[in-house]
Amino acid sequence: MLSAPHIFIYQHARSGLPPSPTSTGVRPDAAHRLGNAPGIVDRDTCRRRRRLVPCRAVLGGFLPSARRGPLSTLPTMTSLAISGHRESGQDVRSANVTACVAVANILRSSLGPQGLDKMLVDQVGDVTVTNDGATIVGLLEVEHPAARILTELAQQQDQEVGDGTTSVVILAAELLKRANDLVQDKIHPTNIIGGYRLAIREACKYVREQMATPVEALGRELLVNAAATSLSSKILGSAESSHFANMAVDAVLSIKTGGEKGGFPATYPIKAVHVLKCQGQSARESELLPGVALNCGRAAKGMPSRVSPARVACLDVDLRRTKMKMGVQVQIDDASALNAAQEKELDITRDRVRAILASGANVVLTTKGIDDAALKYFVEAGAIALRRVPLEDVRRVAKATGAVVQGSLADLDGNESLDESQLGAAEEAAEMRIRDDTVTVLRGCRSTAACSVLLRGPNEYMCDEMGRSFHDAVCVVKRTLESGTVVPGGGAVEAALSVHLDEYATSLGTREQLAVAQVAEALLVIPKTLAVNAALDATDLVARLRAAHYKSQTEKGKEELAMSGLDLLTGVVRNSSKAGVVEPALSKVKSIQFAAEAAITILRIDDAINVERKDADPEG
Amino acid sequence: MLKMILDASGSLTLTNDGNAILREVDVSHPAAKSIIELSRTQDEEVGDGTTTVAVLAGELLSVAEPFIKANMHPTVVVRAYFAALDEAVRFAEQAAVVLDADDTENLEAIVASCIGTKYMHRHSDLLVRIALAAVKTVRDTVDGRVLIDTKTYVKVEKLPGGEMEDSRVLDGVMLAKDVTAANMRRRIVKPRVLLVDCPLEYRKAESATNVELTKEADFRALLAAEEEYVTRIVGDLLAHKPDLLITEKGVSDLALHLLAKANVSVIRRVRKTDNNRVARAVGATIVSRTSEIVESDVGTGAGLFEVTKVGDDYFTFITGCENPRACTVLLRGGSKDVLNEVERNLQDALCVARNILLHPKMVPGGGAIEMAVAAHLTAKSKTLTDVSAAPYRAVASALEVVPRTLAENCGAKVIRVLTALRAKHSGGGGEEAPFFGIDGRSGEVVDMRTLGVWEPLIVKTQTMKTAVEAAAMLLRIDDIVSGLSKPKGSGGEGGGGGFEEE
Repeated sequence: MLSAPHIFIYQHARSGLPPSPTSTGVRPDAAHRLGNAPGIVDRDTCRRRRRLVPCRAVLGGFLPSARRGPLSTLPTMTSLAISGHRESGQDVRSANVTACVAVANILRSSLGPQGLDKMLVDQVGDVTVTNDGATIVGLLEVEHPAARILTELAQQQDQEVGDGTTSVVILAAELLKRANDLVQDKIHPTNIIGGYRLAIREACKYVREQMATPVEALGRELLVNAAATSLSSKILGSAESSHFANMAVDAVLSIKTGGEKGGFPATYPIKAVHVLKCQGQSARESELLPGVALNCGRAAKGMPSRVSPARVACLDVDLRRTKMKMGVQVQIDDASALNAAQEKELDITRDRVRAILASGANVVLTTKGIDDAALKYFVEAGAIALRRVPLEDVRRVAKATGAVVQGSLADLDGNESLDESQLGAAEEAAEMRIRDDTVTVLRGCRSTAACSVLLRGPNEYMCDEMGRSFHDAVCVVKRTLESGTVVPGGGAVEAALSVHLDEYATSLGTREQLAVAQVAEALLVIPKTLAVNAALDATDLVARLRAAHYKSQTEKGKEELAMSGLDLLTGVVRNSSKAGVVEPALSKVKSIQFAAEAAITILRIDDAINVERKDADPEG
Repeated sequence: MLKMILDASGSLTLTNDGNAILREVDVSHPAAKSIIELSRTQDEEVGDGTTTVAVLAGELLSVAEPFIKANMHPTVVVRAYFAALDEAVRFAEQAAVVLDADDTENLEAIVASCIGTKYMHRHSDLLVRIALAAVKTVRDTVDGRVLIDTKTYVKVEKLPGGEMEDSRVLDGVMLAKDVTAANMRRRIVKPRVLLVDCPLEYRKAESATNVELTKEADFRALLAAEEEYVTRIVGDLLAHKPDLLITEKGVSDLALHLLAKANVSVIRRVRKTDNNRVARAVGATIVSRTSEIVESDVGTGAGLFEVTKVGDDYFTFITGCENPRACTVLLRGGSKDVLNEVERNLQDALCVARNILLHPKMVPGGGAIEMAVAAHLTAKSKTLTDVSAAPYRAVASALEVVPRTLAENCGAKVIRVLTALRAKHSGGGGEEAPFFGIDGRSGEVVDMRTLGVWEPLIVKTQTMKTAVEAAAMLLRIDDIVSGLSKPKGSGGEGGGGGFEEE
């Protein structure tokens, strides 16, 4: 245990940007922007308050001194050889907590099946409509350093788990708030940190050992339920959750790699799920394309729009008229050789195309261009050629069809050729017309380690949001498959942990007892928020939920009640597992751990030194 | 009614096409923007109903307002909306009538009814005939799937002047070009057409080529080499005895001279897309290396090549094709603005014709199907016991906006007509009920079958889907944060967030 308090130093010119009075702390307009969230005040209110309560920092309390003016009562750094401002002790802790709670408050209303979305508009007018915690905080540009830790927490959860980004931020902020109250009650932060660590360790152990239901044969129904739980809070959840949950499960199952007996455990590289968004039709018409879909059409109309079976060549080779590299000159002494040089250029490209076609390829993808002159050869051979396919897509096709991406056609004999073994195979390559665009789909690829999802929706914002929601669902399915255990959702785990930790706290005879009890309380923020968002009586519901879990943990024969969670549509406590509300155990454990880690990191700060930018204030 | 839109650069648009109107209107509110985008989606997906979709989405939002004000949870409203949408789409599909795609007369009547609202309705017969003929020309069957690519293969050429009645579909292609040299033939019956996309002039190599000359003779040799090159490619071309040569690139004077001497008409600098259409119409393949021409590349499908003077310009007509599969629609008319609007109407008509031929399922127009769906939803909502019944019914009342707007726009007594219509649909009309709608001219309640007003099912379902989903998305928003700047440190101005609903 570290007992030395941390000092937190941050500079004005953090990113080396040109001096601007608003580059540190939250910008004045940002405070206004967040004005609706409790705990945040706009600049004027902030000044007013500061007059009453000196050093009261709001989100981004470090306004540059030029703006602070005569009202500044912050202690100035005198003991250090650098100029700047310093806040320490309770001030900085309160400031940090206020900032974090403010961030959490923004997210709060988007949690749960009855959560709502946010519309984020940037300066250019680009709109993002989303329910995803990580996306929201990512776009909010929080500048308060402590609050940034929370936004990073959400991103981390997004990368590690893929879902539950909102709840992790809310939980972290709640833990912080309660810790701050404890510190104000004169409990030393290190005691609180110790207590938090104990509580989290116990909580994770409890989830793993008591709550997690091992899933012997991972039934499909269960996976669908897990995906549907994740989707329920999103726009897709309102009506089409089962459709999309099934799609997510199919997508993940189709990209399974490895997992044979005795081999490596199966992995699910979700990058292999390619999401195409296309406006039009309705969300329900979204479909899973078994194979790889490419967002481009064939290079010439004369090519067939469908070939079957497809032999796929993936190239990273330029098929335009061959051109010497920059700086290479062709020196010609003989005038008659001039034409020969030109002919040769065309011949090289022609020979390349012939080499490709000679290998038997009838679908040719290249990341570079194809000369119009060269297209004719493909047309004559009845092959589909796609040009300027993004390299990423070519790689995906290569993976799915078993092709090898060719950087060059050169072979050991100094000639150019393409070996048959380098080709991939698919049952069919066909061009589809979706709306005004064309999409080329490779179906029945040799190794099906890739699939594509075509999302349809009324406008761009909705398609984007569907993409994010679908990604979350896919992540959840993947985690469920990997961890092999699930826990009931709907606040069941949090309530059970709360009851358990309460009891655990009483078994501790040290100061940590108080911190553990606070963790127990803090965990309840999830079911509470769920209920509040559903416009239900949170106090009543949470009490009933806790009572159910208490019963399950104390009385014999009532173990069934451990699965109790909230049904937010009707406002009752019911068995979440039976209702099909499940989450992967792994992500639950991870999100509790992440939240606690983030809270502890912020809690350890007891000194903030705000270093003045040198050129901003030469006298100071 | 039409809208006259004057855009920022001062150009004028005269239209009543929903998408064309909304495209020009500049709105800053993000929610309004998303409604505008709906129109575009609709246009690109089915090409019709662009006005309806925006109107319906707006109506769906405004009927939701009382529920939100009455503290109903937005997710409840959204869920009810989606449920209603499912039911509506299912009902509309049941109510749809399958059409015989080969019955030309019937088809014409239906396409005519679809574009009945447009400015052109005086000439709607003509437009309809054009649209149907064009779509049928480019209809293609590949592996049993019917493909109709109007975007690529139907080209609309507007020639100001003349009478609108002179507009027609060519059984071939028109190019806004003249033969390159005045002495070339301007009329060839059954031409052999050769299409190339390489220049018929000396072309420099791609690689940096440096020629150093020390003797005068070398220079001459160089020029001779260039000439020889041109002569050779022309020789390659002439070997196949073309009557007409079309190239996408330039033609040098020498080549022109040689070709003219061989009695070949040349058209140069044709656009790639035009060349593709010619290729399809005459059954030729576009060649890019003259030495590789084979007999099958030569197009022989055209009946007549003719250059005629229309107005002040020369135009090339390649007509009388045996199996055109690509065509040009020639529009004539008073002024450019009028022609532009006619073209928009024609595009709608083309889409309608395409939709009908691809999906020959039709529903009665004139607000009849909306009314029928509304009546069905209202009846269905009575079987719902929970709170969602109210927003479910609200979808029904939102759908009534279509017949209501129709009645309003023709100056009928809205309430009286609408009540009569509602009465018909809610049981008063018996079996015939779903076919009753509003006659957009007289404002009376009539049987749409007698009036012959039909609309493609996919347009109607797409409208409902798009409108409901977009409205649902907006309803779910409880917070707008604006003024975020993407590039860091660019300084934040603006700001000003606010709550929308709730």
